[in-house]
Amino acid sequence: MDNKDLTLTLGPAAEFNRPLVLTPGQDLFGFILNHVGRALLFLITCSSVLAVLLILFFVIVRSVPFLTDYSIADFLAGKAWHPTSDTPAFGGLTIIVGSLYVSLAALVFAVPLGIMAAVFLSDIVSWKIRNVVKPIVEILAAIPSVAYGFFAVLVLAPWMQKHFGFSTGTNALNAALILAVMALPTIISVAEDAISALGRELREASYGLGATRMETILKVVLPAAHSGIIAAVVLGMMRAIGETMVVWMASGNATQIPHPWWDLSQSIRTMTATIAGEMGEAPEGSSHRSALFAVGVLLLIMTFVLNIVSEYFLSRAKKNLGRS
Amino acid sequence: MKLTTRATLDKLFTGVTGLSIVLLSLVLIAVLGPMVYRGSSAVLFNGTVEFRKMQRELFNRGDEKELEGEIAQTETFRQGVYAKIDAFKRGIDIDAMSDRVRQINREYGKELRYKNTPTEEYTELRSRSRDIRDILEETFESQDIALIEDNVMEVLQAAQDPNFLGTCAEEYFTIARNFLAAAKQVDLSRYHEYVAALEEVELLLFGSNEHNGLLGPRPEEPTRAMARVRYGATRSDQMRELLDRFLVAEQWVPAEGTDSLVKVRTPRVEQFEGTSLASLFPYVEENIEKLLNPRFTFYWQFFVDDNVNSHYFGGVGPEILGTVFITVLGMVFVVPLGVIAAAYLVECSSDGWIIRLIRMCINTLAGVPSIVFGLFGLAFFVLFLFPLLGFEQKPCILAASLTLALLTLPVMIRASEEAIRTVPQSYKEGSLALGASRFRTFMTVILPAALPGILTGVILSLSRVAGETAPILFTGAVSLGPVPKSMFDPTRTLSYGSYDMAVGDRLAMMVPHNQYGMVVTLIMLILILNAMAIVLRSRVFKKLKGH
Amino acid sequence: MRRTVVGMIVLGLTMCVVAQAETLQIEGSTTVGPIADAFAEYFKKVYPDLDITVKKTGSGDGAAALVDDRCDIATMSRFMKAKEFKAAVDGGVFPVAHVAAMDGVCPIVHPSNPVKDLTTAQIRDIYMGKIKNWSQVGGPSMPIVVISRDTSSGTYETFHGLVMEKKEMAAGVEYVNSNPQAHARVKTTRGAIGYVGIGFLDRSVKAIKVDGVMPSRRTIASGVYPVARPLFMFTNGYPELGSMVHKFCTFYLTEKGQELVEAKGFVPLTAY
Repeated sequence: MDNKDLTLTLGPAAEFNRPLVLTPGQDLFGFILNHVGRALLFLITCSSVLAVLLILFFVIVRSVPFLTDYSIADFLAGKAWHPTSDTPAFGGLTIIVGSLYVSLAALVFAVPLGIMAAVFLSDIVSWKIRNVVKPIVEILAAIPSVAYGFFAVLVLAPWMQKHFGFSTGTNALNAALILAVMALPTIISVAEDAISALGRELREASYGLGATRMETILKVVLPAAHSGIIAAVVLGMMRAIGETMVVWMASGNATQIPHPWWDLSQSIRTMTATIAGEMGEAPEGSSHRSALFAVGVLLLIMTFVLNIVSEYFLSRAKKNLGRS
Repeated sequence: MKLTTRATLDKLFTGVTGLSIVLLSLVLIAVLGPMVYRGSSAVLFNGTVEFRKMQRELFNRGDEKELEGEIAQTETFRQGVYAKIDAFKRGIDIDAMSDRVRQINREYGKELRYKNTPTEEYTELRSRSRDIRDILEETFESQDIALIEDNVMEVLQAAQDPNFLGTCAEEYFTIARNFLAAAKQVDLSRYHEYVAALEEVELLLFGSNEHNGLLGPRPEEPTRAMARVRYGATRSDQMRELLDRFLVAEQWVPAEGTDSLVKVRTPRVEQFEGTSLASLFPYVEENIEKLLNPRFTFYWQFFVDDNVNSHYFGGVGPEILGTVFITVLGMVFVVPLGVIAAAYLVECSSDGWIIRLIRMCINTLAGVPSIVFGLFGLAFFVLFLFPLLGFEQKPCILAASLTLALLTLPVMIRASEEAIRTVPQSYKEGSLALGASRFRTFMTVILPAALPGILTGVILSLSRVAGETAPILFTGAVSLGPVPKSMFDPTRTLSYGSYDMAVGDRLAMMVPHNQYGMVVTLIMLILILNAMAIVLRSRVFKKLKGH
Repeated sequence: MRRTVVGMIVLGLTMCVVAQAETLQIEGSTTVGPIADAFAEYFKKVYPDLDITVKKTGSGDGAAALVDDRCDIATMSRFMKAKEFKAAVDGGVFPVAHVAAMDGVCPIVHPSNPVKDLTTAQIRDIYMGKIKNWSQVGGPSMPIVVISRDTSSGTYETFHGLVMEKKEMAAGVEYVNSNPQAHARVKTTRGAIGYVGIGFLDRSVKAIKVDGVMPSRRTIASGVYPVARPLFMFTNGYPELGSMVHKFCTFYLTEKGQELVEAKGFVPLTAY
């Protein structure tokens, strides 16, 4: 890199014609700038944190009337969700199970595929091909959820009814497949980061011992990167649990727990879909509305827990990396 | 294990992982393919003369002279259709004939009074006219051809009466003659069948206040309330569908061997077997191209036009504008905020508990359902913050952008953080060693080096900002409204528009091409914005690498 | 990069030059939305200076918006609930209802289904899961796929009140979030039963008689058909005579308004 290019890229700091000794004024200015800047940065960062806290506060406050009036045990374990009936029942078990059910089902599809794709991108193809393939993943992430919803209802649902003989096409399988596609970009990019962050030494040592590429990847690379991969899975799960519009359109929204449990062809309802579907019509100030906010709080708690889990695994991945 | 087995397994493994990418591409094609295919038909299709008429009248577009020539040309063929139907109707439309006959009677009375006819003569002529009316009405109701013939003859005896000649009563006799001619052709016992079938045929050809017809309303009909029913089939796919419904009647009838009903298609021409109308069906089928004159149309104005009648006609211009506006404004908020927060998290802080808490909060934000963002945006920005700052308290683009910025903040922060963290420590140390302050180091060394990663964050959040529906539902999106003049107006957007079309209106159900067109436009817009960011990223990357 | 950002901000600020025009804000139900759309489109043509915005989020939001004075007219597919009314009056808003049109809720089945006529009791049993096969109501031996609108829609509320008599639906009932989707699900599913607004009836689904009455514009307008509901527009107090709000709220009385109501698939209140 010659000098001209450097100037072009890095701007005035790379010009070496400045005096090395600063005047006291410049020194003081720099000092103040440094501290003021730091305080400013902190304030701005805090403003985004403030926003987060405001949202949390907002959701929790709106759910308080419900949480004080109804027993939380009934909310968590009750199966009946009849918010608009004369004797309303707010049993959230079916929708909690529904959320977990589709998310897990989505992971069953997405995780093997995502890890394989991550391995492929990091260890198998050349840099050039990788640059061609990577946009595919990015485009998958870029397609808006409304478009996925359309696809689920208008293309996938009739197709499944026709070819699999399901009585209904908008079901857990439909929602899970779409969610899997939506979670894949997250899983792939985080897992790929984790795998490629491992460095050459580990791989070279394995190859040096005479292992094939498959053996290296399966027995050395993946076990070494397992923390990062778990974090990828958890982040993918977060994406799947939080998705709203698609599940609202694709899952059928029946308030039931699938029976038998492995039958994906039944309709189910998730927490996000319940919020999205019922919020618009629930009267302001009713227990129905605050019950929906309570569902939101529950959702936040779930993502919070998942978050802690992923943070734990990610920091472990970093530590492992430090050690190796 | 043998070496060969291991080698084979290795190859197999490579193949399997490669397969995952193939599968991903297939998924992409499976999702995008059908939608793009259907969506593209909103722009590329065979437009008929009705389409050009609509464009002329609603959007003031196209060459008037040329269009007039085309309309005159198609009208000559349409006259054939009108003539056939009118001829058949003359014998079949009893209600209309009865009405007409009663009207003639009234008018004849008026005419007599106008001419100052003496009272006695007036009474006599009136009663004769009434008699003719009664006989004719009886004739129309009859199904006995002999009786009809007798009655008509009786009426026609009065045809030469000078009292009736030259008056409006002459029309009695024309009607009587026409009816007799028609009645001889038609099986009168099937009269009610014919009436019902004719009504359907007319509905399919000319439409009504609610339904679109193949040819559109007849020229003499008064203008209909909604623009969408003022025209016939505007596209060749619509034309073919309506033609099929016109030629073939579909019915669900019981069948042997199954409890369910079975769809049976009977050519409509069979319904009118032996009548003068039977020739209409082959006529329309043979001349359909000449009746509607479809030709290839590239309707690029779809991307600039406003819509008409809930997206039945027109395009998505205001929606594109609104989406771009909201997206750009949202990015203006989220990019600096995200980068600054990331910079602080990486550069200025140790791994203390405050930072952990901050990070936890930000990550939790990523799990808030998008609808909750919408409600929060309404409660906080629109109802609380705007009045506080002296703005008008109403949902608007600004509120929507702020809400969306909050929504994508975690994505932006995480991506920027990752990008800043991966800038080699040596860059920073080098800069600091040269005496640059930390601020300067950050602005001139670290930020440019981290730019590709930050741009990745921009790509990710941009897609979300442009594509989200729920957060803007309450904060700034409307289904119908003027084009925004400032960021304090609400706007239409592609994402909300797609959702609205999918759930709201029955009209949207009839125009799937426009529905898909809107979704595909949204996808395309996002991909274009993405592509721009990707190109920018690769240019920055090349520059950084120094060649 | 910095320059672009600054440029964008400047662009945003220059666009703040607001031209004030008379505005009319309408918010509320997704069911009544299409009527408001059609009216608004017509008004836009007649009064070019008028800025009309229509939002379709839900009846509950419409009521909330009227209470907060965020809109001039709230469209609702149900009457205001007592709580909403109280909140409105407490906030100094006095809601007045205008019935703009009638809507019938019609049970539909796949056209291949020979069942033509069901009683409300039978429909109720189907939705409560007591009748599970079409053969129990004189159809072919085929499991019934029960499709309902989401529990918060006005359509559901009508159906729930008038057909279900406020009894709960079975757990296996599938919920869809819109009339078009209910229509699409029934059209593509042989054993399905669903219900939609009368405007969504077409030849690809079959409407069935309820208690021997065929749902049609005539039976709904004459009050014979049992599952029908009024559609409301709410204003704050009775609008000032001659004001734009007044014109909009009484537009359904004019011939043009009724034509538009009919063209959107609803039943006008008075025949023209």
